[in-house]
Amino acid sequence: MNSLEYRKFVVLFFIAITAGVFSVRMFYMQIIDDKWKLRAEEISKYKMTTYPTRGIVYDRSGNKLIANETYYDIMMIEDEISNFDTTLFCQLFKINKEELVEIYQNMVDKQGKDKKGKSNYRKFKPYPLITGLSSDDFSKVATELQKFPGFFENVRTLRKYPQNSGAHVLGYMNEVDGTDLEKDHYYRMGDYIGRTGIENYYEEDLRGRKGVQYLMKDARGNISGSQEESKYDTAAVPGRNLELTLDADLQTYGELLMKGKIGSVVAIEPSSGEILAFVSSPTYDPNLLIGKKIGKNFLTLQEDSLKPLFNRPLQAKYPPGSTFKLVTGLIGMQMGVVDSNRAFSCIKSLVNCHGHPTALSMSDGVKYSCNPYFYQVMSRIVQQGKSRNIFKDSKIGLAEWYEYVRSFGLGQPLNIDLAGDIPGFIPDVEYYDKVYNKAWAFSTIYSISIGQGEVGVTPIQMANLACIMANRGYYYVPHLVKSIKGKDISDRFQEKHYTKVKSEYFNPIVEGMWRVVHEPGGTARRAKTEGLNVCGKTGTAQNPHGEDHSIFIAFAPKDNPKIAIAVYVENAGFGGTWAAPIASLMIEKFLNGEVKQEAKEKRIIEKNFLTDPSIH
Amino acid sequence: MRKNETILDNIDWSLILLYFVLTILGLFNIYSASYNEEFPSLFSFSQEYGKQIIWIAVSMFLGFIVLLLESDILWKYAYWFYAVCMLLLIAVLFTREINGARSWLGFGSMGIQPSEFAKLGTAIAISAYISNMNIKLQSQSSAFYANLIVLFPMALILLQPDAGTFVVFTSFLWVFYREGISYDFILGFILRLIPFVDHTRIKIGSNFIPLLIVSGILVVSTLLLSQTTIQFFGMTLPGFWGLIISISVFLILALIVARITVMLRERKKLYYILIVAAIASSSLVFAVNSVFDYLKPHQKERIELFLGLEEDPDGKDYNRNRAMAAVGSGSFLGKGYHKATLASPQQGHVPMQSTDFIFCTLAEEWGFVGGILVLSLFVVLLFKIIQIAERQRSTFTRVFAYSIAVIIFYHLAINIGMTIGLAPVIGIPLPFFSYGGSSLMSFTMMLFVLAKLDSERKNVFR
Ligand SMILES: [Zn+2]
Repeated sequence: MNSLEYRKFVVLFFIAITAGVFSVRMFYMQIIDDKWKLRAEEISKYKMTTYPTRGIVYDRSGNKLIANETYYDIMMIEDEISNFDTTLFCQLFKINKEELVEIYQNMVDKQGKDKKGKSNYRKFKPYPLITGLSSDDFSKVATELQKFPGFFENVRTLRKYPQNSGAHVLGYMNEVDGTDLEKDHYYRMGDYIGRTGIENYYEEDLRGRKGVQYLMKDARGNISGSQEESKYDTAAVPGRNLELTLDADLQTYGELLMKGKIGSVVAIEPSSGEILAFVSSPTYDPNLLIGKKIGKNFLTLQEDSLKPLFNRPLQAKYPPGSTFKLVTGLIGMQMGVVDSNRAFSCIKSLVNCHGHPTALSMSDGVKYSCNPYFYQVMSRIVQQGKSRNIFKDSKIGLAEWYEYVRSFGLGQPLNIDLAGDIPGFIPDVEYYDKVYNKAWAFSTIYSISIGQGEVGVTPIQMANLACIMANRGYYYVPHLVKSIKGKDISDRFQEKHYTKVKSEYFNPIVEGMWRVVHEPGGTARRAKTEGLNVCGKTGTAQNPHGEDHSIFIAFAPKDNPKIAIAVYVENAGFGGTWAAPIASLMIEKFLNGEVKQEAKEKRIIEKNFLTDPSIH
Repeated sequence: MRKNETILDNIDWSLILLYFVLTILGLFNIYSASYNEEFPSLFSFSQEYGKQIIWIAVSMFLGFIVLLLESDILWKYAYWFYAVCMLLLIAVLFTREINGARSWLGFGSMGIQPSEFAKLGTAIAISAYISNMNIKLQSQSSAFYANLIVLFPMALILLQPDAGTFVVFTSFLWVFYREGISYDFILGFILRLIPFVDHTRIKIGSNFIPLLIVSGILVVSTLLLSQTTIQFFGMTLPGFWGLIISISVFLILALIVARITVMLRERKKLYYILIVAAIASSSLVFAVNSVFDYLKPHQKERIELFLGLEEDPDGKDYNRNRAMAAVGSGSFLGKGYHKATLASPQQGHVPMQSTDFIFCTLAEEWGFVGGILVLSLFVVLLFKIIQIAERQRSTFTRVFAYSIAVIIFYHLAINIGMTIGLAPVIGIPLPFFSYGGSSLMSFTMMLFVLAKLDSERKNVFR
């Protein structure tokens, strides 16, 4: 019997080793590894996020451009649903059974899948089934909803755009996607983010900061009170309100004038760079892209052949047409190749022109918009005779010209406070070398002298050019934000950008612009408005695909200008016919607060190029 | 009078003290685990903590009775106790199913679980059988009858069904091992089927049992680790290498310990055994891993499902997942008494937290320190019982002591093991801690019977 006594050691050994393994395991689980602590938090704590109200956006006179409105989501917990009356439910929400099945399936799909391909959807958790009911719609179903166990409402706020205008400035919001979640850890699934416009550019100011409340949750998922950690709770910080530079009345009026036309109207206060109106036509009601409607409406807008979602002022590239003669003239004078009293004959063999008296000065050239005049100015800019080799000579000249043009904010994005402005295009030596295999001279590229050919600009750049004219030589980066509550706006909007052309050279050009509008023989007599001293320049952008685009840039009054404007109307022919009167009406509306030229206004409003493409 | 004095003089008070400490700790733990704000007093007899006080009182009363009774009764009526327990196990099969099992014999609102008492009854019967001087332990028939005494209640328990208690009954194998019951006849029967092996020369005897258990642990560990990898000095190795490394480290440690403690004469043999054991273990691990790798995906899946490798924290794994989260969140010092947020009655995240998962409340509220303290108390108790077992002249007492030691050990290992993810989730109580009258009464009587038998160790030779 005693021979087996050693076996007590085997038994004791097994007990000891078990206790040892358990101790190591507990040490690992409780002290080293965080996995189970995190799991415990996940199980027992509920991190309730409190959402801040998003910043309100006002125009320059305090009109609300973007407000918040309360909406309701119908939430559902599948496990708690009982005696579900499908027919009644469908009636209540005015959908049919197939739609209900689809809505449900979409909701489940939206939760995604885990690594093993199993759905993350959990039957015991609440999910939004029907989203974005308005207060009115919800009040109709509120009492009935209580008869459906497992369903309840969740209040949230969505954006509202009370002016129904300025869609391209204000932008829209939608739910964050995977890329957003990766880029910015602030967001959680289901959050909304500004996608375009001000909503997008000032997202971080507008959104504020979410608050967190730590609560305890029991096994059924019910909240069972706050916990010790409430000292870590943070309150939600509301988003900052924005004041925009936009003038809501002018914006709405611009959209009215542009109805039935494709194009852009951009108006800027020259003394500050503040954008007063920013019309992209055709436009859409920003309220279409809110809440549950967004998916369907976005698709409709996206499929529209007129591209209402396209932000024309920032992203449409057109030739500047004759408006570019202003730049050519200014550069010519600054470079000293011409002076303001220089006369040039209207030699139609150089480049086509219309009938007009000979331009005896720069001012005349602008007034008559004489093509051969600026052809000859440009030829002197490009071929300065600094090299005997004509090709080398033209390179020297164009390179100089290029630097001057760039100083007008052309050929590069202006970086306004909306995402997506494009650079446009100003050809340089390198470009022509590539295209013409280095064998080019002024005679090859002359069309840029009158704003045709390769030169491409955007309406916002043209409006900025109008500002430069108004300011006689400098501009501020155009911008939409006037003030941010509790924060300064970016310094870069307060910085003067001078062109490389001296202020004095602007006088003859501006004089010409005044005469364009006010003197017989001027190209934009239709822009004349009693007492407002409008100065402008017409343009007609050649369009190989159809009628030319009608262009007009202007500012007023001549001295101490308050508004500068650029108008593009696509396929509307000569700039003086449509673009000029639109600009003048805008100027009158802004400077006088009301429009007295009723006949002019009526003609514009009634014109619909989509149904009547005639350009007269 | 003289007799009573003898008991009090010879009783092992350290055993009784351990019992009291564990029971009182258990009561206060239940007070937290099933605390009801409407009944703040510990003595709220409508609540589990109040009821547990009653069960403690009843258990101690029974223990006191045991001390007063003549110990002769135990071996005289050993098989009668066993028979009564077996009858109760049969009777319980005719009751109404509760939660999918027939485990409760109801007396009004109170009920008992015969399976709890069957462990005690079987322990007494096994002690009586093995201590019978007329049997030869190495014989085939004694092995057969000894196993039958255990297998019969196991079969009845399987019919309830009660997987936990079924597993606990396998602990009697350790008793057979200690007493030298041979399994060579079964082993021989199996080895006869293998060609070129002379089965008559294989003499493993009762060493078969620890070998079986070690092999079982190695097989399960290999399978558990098969889908994992480990980092070892910057190398990424398949999970089973962890076992090979552990075995190697263990071998080296064992050789060092042997060199220091074992006499030179026996050292060589021990070295030989240790090296052979290490090589055999490693080979087994390699073999199991290779076979598993060779299996088809659906076969692997079935094995993984059985081992609970498939994670499903809100489904099949709900209980274990919540239990482990509660234990893990306890950290070093715990959240404080009555401050559990998972294993708390108000939050209810851990199911059955006053019975099967009682250890969660302890580990969450008292942390690593509390858990280790209780684990150590149990280890001290087990060592104490085995110490008591080995000082007996009576075979009966020794077998009985070993029986209750391994029963308590199995309860401890499985109950705590399942809350820390080292044992499958099969519901069995943690002795002295889990709420419930039957288990407390049964464990109390085990200890008091042992105390009584031990107190007579000087005048009993049987
Ligand atoms: Zn001309």
